[in-house]
Amino acid sequence: MADLSINLAGIKSPNPFWLASAPPTNSGYQVQRAFDAGWGGAVWKTLGDPILNVSSRFAAVSFNGQRVAGFNNIELITDRPLEVNLKEIYETKKRFPNHAIIASLMVEPKQEKWHEIVKRVEDVGVDGLELNFGCPHGMAERGMGSASGQVPSLVEKQTYWVKEAARTPVIVKLTPNITDITVTAEAAVNGGADAISMINTINSLMGVDLDTWNTIPHVAGKGAHGGYCGPAVKPIALNMVAECARNPRISVPISGIGGISNWQDAVEFILMGATGVQICTAAMHHGFRIIEDMIEGLDHYLEQKGVSSLTEIIGKSVPRYSDWGNLDLNYNIAAQINTDVCINCNKCHIACEDTSHQCIDMLTGEDGRSYLKVREEDCVGCNLCAIVCPVDGAITMVETAASQPPMTWNDRQAALNTAK
Amino acid sequence: MSEYKEFLTEKEQIDDLIRSGYRIQSVIENLDGAFVNFTHKDQGHCKSLHIGTANARKYFSSILMQQNNG
Ligand SMILES: Cc1cc2nc3c(=O)[nH]c(=O)nc-3n(C[C@H](O)[C@H](O)[C@H](O)COP(=O)(O)O)c2cc1C
Repeated sequence: MADLSINLAGIKSPNPFWLASAPPTNSGYQVQRAFDAGWGGAVWKTLGDPILNVSSRFAAVSFNGQRVAGFNNIELITDRPLEVNLKEIYETKKRFPNHAIIASLMVEPKQEKWHEIVKRVEDVGVDGLELNFGCPHGMAERGMGSASGQVPSLVEKQTYWVKEAARTPVIVKLTPNITDITVTAEAAVNGGADAISMINTINSLMGVDLDTWNTIPHVAGKGAHGGYCGPAVKPIALNMVAECARNPRISVPISGIGGISNWQDAVEFILMGATGVQICTAAMHHGFRIIEDMIEGLDHYLEQKGVSSLTEIIGKSVPRYSDWGNLDLNYNIAAQINTDVCINCNKCHIACEDTSHQCIDMLTGEDGRSYLKVREEDCVGCNLCAIVCPVDGAITMVETAASQPPMTWNDRQAALNTAK
Repeated sequence: MSEYKEFLTEKEQIDDLIRSGYRIQSVIENLDGAFVNFTHKDQGHCKSLHIGTANARKYFSSILMQQNNG
C-alpha cells in the first residue's frame, strides 16, 4: 500500500482525508466514529461563545436526479459550551493519538479573546488550530466569520494575535466571498499563518417557494442568506486553491475544501497544490463510510501511477495553471464524430447551429440514413458538442496540426508593440 | 461567405505581399479589426491590408513574431 500520510505544516495524519469543521465534527461521539471508519483527521465544529441556532437550517439543490448537487446552510458555530467540547476533544485525542484533531476557532476580533481561546484549546492537546474567517451568515452580522475574513488587515492582525499565543500550527480558513482570495491568503501569511485552508461556504439563497413565496429554507416565514457548498462549488474551490498554490508570495501549505465527494476530487485538489483535503457535504450526504472507497481509490491510483507516497504528487499540476495571456493561440483542436457510436440525437448539431459556430452538418448517406459530420475548418474547438453529447465516445476532440509555431497573447502583444 | 473562406482570402492577401518582398511595418488595431501596414524590403513601397477575421489576425501576428525573431 502507498504511504498516504501527510504532514501539513507540522500536523500529521495517517491519510489526507479530514472532516471539515461542520455538523459531522460536532461531538466526540461523531469524531471517534469517523476515526474508527478511517478518516485521518477532523477539524472540530467551530468553537467560540456558544450560539443559538434556528430550526430549519439546510436546503439542497437536486439537479436532474442528482440529490445534493449543492447544499446550503444557515447554521452557526457550536452551540455547546467550550468546556464540553474540550473534554470530548481531550478524550478523542487520547483514544486516537495518531489522528489529527484541529480546533476551529471564531471569536470577536479582539486580541484578548483570541489569546484566551487559543490557550484553553491547546491545553487539551489539539494538533493545530484553524481560524474560521469564513462563515458567511449570522456570525458575519456580528463582525466575525467572513466579515473579518473579507478585510485583509483584520485577517493579518487576528492571525498575528493567534500566533502570539499559539504553540501548535495555525491554519487560516478563508472565505470565498471575496473577489481575489490571494489577497486575504497573503494577509494570513503576513500575519504568520502556518497554513491556509479554503473554501468556506459561498453566499447563497437556495430558492423561493412558488406557492407560499417563502424563501427556501425559511424560518417562520423569513429567510436569510446561507452558505453554499457541495459538488456545485468544487470548480470555484479548486480555482481558489490553484490561484493560491501558484502565487509565490503564498508559501504555506494548503488544506483544500469545497465539493470534494470522492478520491478523484481529492487527487485533483492535491495535484493543484493542496497537501490534504477536508470534506463536509459528501459525509453529510452519504455518511462516514465513504472514507473506505476514498482510501482504496487513492491507494489504487497511486499504485497505478507508480507513486509510493502521496506527498510526491502534491502540486504536480500547478505549473500547468497560468494566466490566459500565456495560452497558445495557435493550438487547435476540432470535434470528430464517431458515427458507429453516435445515436443521431442531433443535440450536437442543435447546440452548434444555435449557439456556437454552425460547423456540424446533418447529411444523408448513400444508404439513405442521416449522419452528422463536423466541418473541421470551421470548428473552433469549443467543446460544446462533446459536452452536450449524451453518448460516451461519440464525439472526440482531436488535436489538429498547428500551421504556425506557438504564440501566446502576451507574445503577440509584445510583437505588436514593436510594430507601432 | 463562411468565416473560414474569409480567413483564406485574407491569408492569401497577406501571403501575396510577403511573397512579393513586403514586411509588416506597423499594425493599428481598433473596433474594426486590424490595419496592417507593409513596406517593401528593397523598394520601400507601402501597402495596407484591413484584416478582420480572428484567424487571419493570429496569422499576421505569427508572421510578425517570425519577422522579429530574425
Ligand atoms: C451545515 C454546515 C455547517 C458548517 N459549519 C461550519 C463551521 O462551524 N465552521 C467552519 O469553518 N465551516 C463550517 N462549514 C463549512 C465547511 O467546513 C466547508 O468549508 C464547506 O461545507 C465546504 O466543503 P464541502 O463542499 O465538502 O461541504 C459548515 C458547512 C455546513 C454544510
